Amino acid sequence: MSAIDLNIVLWLNGFSGNVKLFDDFMRVVASDYLMPLVFSLVMFGLWFSGKTPRERVRYQLTMLMGISALAISNVVVWLINITWNRPRPFVEYGDQLNLLFYPPTDPSFPANPVAVGFAVATAAWTINRTFGGWMFAAATLFGFSRLYAGVFYPTDIIGGAVVGVAIFWFTTYLRRLLEPLVTGFVRLIRGLSAA
Amino acid sequence: MNTDPSVVQALFAGHYFLFAFLTALGTLQIAVSNAGTRGLWLTSRAGITRWVGIALILAGIAIFFLQPLWVDGPWAAGSVEADSLTREWGKSSWDEFAGARNVNDIHGGLDGTKQAILFPLAAISAFIVSAIAGTLNVQFFTRTRRRDEGDQHPRITDGLEGLESRSYFLNLPVSMRQFRSEIGEYWRNGLEDADRWSVVKALFGRSPR
Repeated sequence: MSAIDLNIVLWLNGFSGNVKLFDDFMRVVASDYLMPLVFSLVMFGLWFSGKTPRERVRYQLTMLMGISALAISNVVVWLINITWNRPRPFVEYGDQLNLLFYPPTDPSFPANPVAVGFAVATAAWTINRTFGGWMFAAATLFGFSRLYAGVFYPTDIIGGAVVGVAIFWFTTYLRRLLEPLVTGFVRLIRGLSAA
Repeated sequence: MNTDPSVVQALFAGHYFLFAFLTALGTLQIAVSNAGTRGLWLTSRAGITRWVGIALILAGIAIFFLQPLWVDGPWAAGSVEADSLTREWGKSSWDEFAGARNVNDIHGGLDGTKQAILFPLAAISAFIVSAIAGTLNVQFFTRTRRRDEGDQHPRITDGLEGLESRSYFLNLPVSMRQFRSEIGEYWRNGLEDADRWSVVKALFGRSPR
């Protein structure tokens, strides 16, 4: 398994250095700022997007679940990280890789940014299948850019995606334990004219 | 890195806040123009507001990623490599600007926690700007028919729904009044409808007779 993992990283990363424009695009996509901000903006935008009060409440509750899933994903990734410290590809095979991104110091598995992206994409998907599909594509592109840059293995990306989706569904279940606090919170924000 | 990471972090925080503010304002404008929430529009027309939103998002992204070309930072021409340890202070070159922002948080880049603090601040700022601009719009440039005009028993609209016909500052007292009058019943109904596993229901719900 790890041999396949390594071969895919080496094969994909082997394309870097050929087309500068594509490498630059991947550097921007892989950055710590663009895609995480896109995911945050999606949740922010959907909060205000419903056209009827009922639709708004549904969107807003889903966005609260998305935000919670994002936070819990980080905790779950950290717990896995302290259990299994998988070295990054460039640590073991740095001489064979053309690193396009700074060398992160945290463990490789699972890919934290991908977990966050997939948690938000799943939230968007429960509201609108087409829009959610685009968000899954964005989260996948984010994971691909980090893979191309040589900082993750494919299984890290898959692991991150599984964590993100699973944590979102777990969070929607968790909401049942906290009702009516969650809907009450949305009602409070509506009292402040922001929901 | 030949620069103090705290200096780099302060620079990144300011740039990131502007980036998040412009893109949040743009996203908000697209969302509220589609939803008809007139009290938060930057302009008096939905179509123009939507295009302003798109322009703000594109401007935010362009400014953030192109800023290294005209602002001094840890991206001096010739020093931008994948590892942010070897950076020099100065302006970036066209060849290197794409990687200029990729600075490790231990060298002054913003980690997830700092972004999680700055983004909500930027989003709230975007909401405040929209509320102020929307107030001017509703007061001076828009002739809107109040939804409840002409009805004998008008339904009181509040929250974002109320912003379809009122400014934020007129809508806020209405929303607060509605909240105060409804919250007791809302809470009781919520407890009744809550799942049997609800911790809140177990703590605050009435015991079955």
